[in-house]
Amino acid sequence: MGYLDGKVAVVTGSGRGIARGIALLMAEEGAKVVVNDYGVNVDGTEPRSEIAEEVVAEIRSKGGTAVASADSVADWDGSRRIIETAVKNFGKIDILCNVAGILRDRMVFNMSEEEWDAVIATHLKGNMFCTRHAAPYMVKQRWGRILNFSSGSGYGSSGQANYAAGKEGITGFTYAVGRELGPFGITVNVINPGGTTRMTQSVPTQAREIRAARGIVPGGGGGAAAARPAAAAAPQQRQAPAEGAPTPGDPNNNAPIIVWLCTEAGGAVNGQRIGSSGWQVTFTDPRRVIRSISKPGRWTVDDLIRLVPASLTQGIPNVAPPVEPQAAPAAQAARS
Amino acid sequence: MAHLDGKVAIVTGAGRGIGREVAKGLAAEGAKVIVNDLGCDVDGSGSSHEPADRVVAEITAAGGQAVVNYDDMSLIANGERLVQQAVDTYGTLDLLVTSAGVLYDKMIWDMSENDFNRVINNNLRAAFVPVKFASILFRQERKGRLVFMVSDAGLGAVGRSNYAGATEGIIGLSRTCARDLGRYGVTSNAISPLVRTRLFPGDVAAQIRAAGVMTAEDQAGIAPRSPWTPWEGPGDPDDPGNVAPLVTYLCTDEAANINGQLFGLRGGTIYLYNYPTVRRSIHRWGGRFPVDELDYVMPQTMLVGIEDPAPRRELVRR
Repeated sequence: MGYLDGKVAVVTGSGRGIARGIALLMAEEGAKVVVNDYGVNVDGTEPRSEIAEEVVAEIRSKGGTAVASADSVADWDGSRRIIETAVKNFGKIDILCNVAGILRDRMVFNMSEEEWDAVIATHLKGNMFCTRHAAPYMVKQRWGRILNFSSGSGYGSSGQANYAAGKEGITGFTYAVGRELGPFGITVNVINPGGTTRMTQSVPTQAREIRAARGIVPGGGGGAAAARPAAAAAPQQRQAPAEGAPTPGDPNNNAPIIVWLCTEAGGAVNGQRIGSSGWQVTFTDPRRVIRSISKPGRWTVDDLIRLVPASLTQGIPNVAPPVEPQAAPAAQAARS
Repeated sequence: MAHLDGKVAIVTGAGRGIGREVAKGLAAEGAKVIVNDLGCDVDGSGSSHEPADRVVAEITAAGGQAVVNYDDMSLIANGERLVQQAVDTYGTLDLLVTSAGVLYDKMIWDMSENDFNRVINNNLRAAFVPVKFASILFRQERKGRLVFMVSDAGLGAVGRSNYAGATEGIIGLSRTCARDLGRYGVTSNAISPLVRTRLFPGDVAAQIRAAGVMTAEDQAGIAPRSPWTPWEGPGDPDDPGNVAPLVTYLCTDEAANINGQLFGLRGGTIYLYNYPTVRRSIHRWGGRFPVDELDYVMPQTMLVGIEDPAPRRELVRR
């Protein structure tokens, strides 16, 4: 007897990583699963359909029920076909996990139109399109669970203008849809997951170290009240874990809370941002007003020059302070 | 001596509303302004030269300097042309304010592909396109200010899932630009104003009630003014002109270290948003929570007193 007996779930991007762990656990808990994966590289190129088939075979070998789908979430008709795969094969759709995503990291001044569009299409539009196509079925049966995957990168992440915009956009979208669908017994939540995946490994550790050395605050940086992304608070691995021992970086750590949110009891959670990194579960508030200044009239620029640094922004650091340009190595050599 | 003497500014969506007031405010402080506006309708259809022309005429009549640009900022080539125009006309670019945006409301189950696309393109993409080209110049010249206009609809306004997604996306873009460009002496901030505009017409208090995204507690912190005190100075509490001094301030040299922040404005109240913070957490040592453990722990810990913004309503059969 599983927690999701009789439910039908669509998990996008579940050929690999975090979503794969979710698809496997959902099947184990009794759900019939549509394993959707476009089967592309981290940058969104070279689609192939075997990735989803492999996960389906794994689920079936353990006695579960699953079908594969290789459509792209970024395509309007493709996203419709993903949802229809569930309805045609299993008669309905109860659960939608929007996990599919790609990376095209580049500093904003070097980012091409194509890099921007590809990431926004897969993350933000892919999320919107799948949700849009699933909503009518869920409204009709007055039951549904939608989980949209965001990221702490939405709090600002150097070299990820496209990804941060897409991920924070998903959060705003989720808050709106949660209010629209809540009355129909559908919950819509946004997840900040964690885990070492193919995607996170594509960001060189060296790049992170360079940014830290330059004083660039990774996500947060809004002073004392600022949040650090949930991932940063995960317990650190001090020594190499024993073979088979649990690690905080395991992408499968996300699956249990996702499964629980899809149960009847999990229906109490709607319109929340849930962090699931490491061995913890967190609830994150939406952005909130923390300080204000007031006067009974329009402010002047001189007022603000005098007052803002002493009140609104006092103690709040520049998230990436200016750095003096370094002389070229040749010029340094000539001087010495 | 004005605060922005010698600076060159681009304001997108400057033909009406907040963009228009910002363009006039920057010009009044001595900046030379490129007034960009496609002149489309609220839903993004059509185009007209009239709004941008009128703002340039208003600035020039007041003794300021401005030129017009009518291009659609959702198209990448137009972004390059816009920044090139600033350099060709005034020799450089110092400030970029993005205020262009459209609104097209529908419930999620009624949205078409085009309903999503038009709002994402005209709001989110139209913010990225000029920023991409301005940031190339800002990095080379080691200076610059980015100010993005966003909206509290991003907190979850019903019927506006496309707009909410786009506007929160702009906040993610602004926070990232702050980190990509801060080391070059550039700042990037966003403002979420509660004022009367063409997209959000009428009484601001009624707008806030209708959107329903702010708790009573949130609203108490940002009351427009005491009801017993008369409004001082130009305009009224809902006037979009109230945004201009804050934008101008963020563009001054004095604000050089304010970077990566989100401000809000309502009437005479200016406020600062935090970065989203963790409110509650549960931890387990030695491995992940299994589902049955979560089933036991969650209702007793994380769920206590949790609000549902839109609880289930039972179907009433007539």
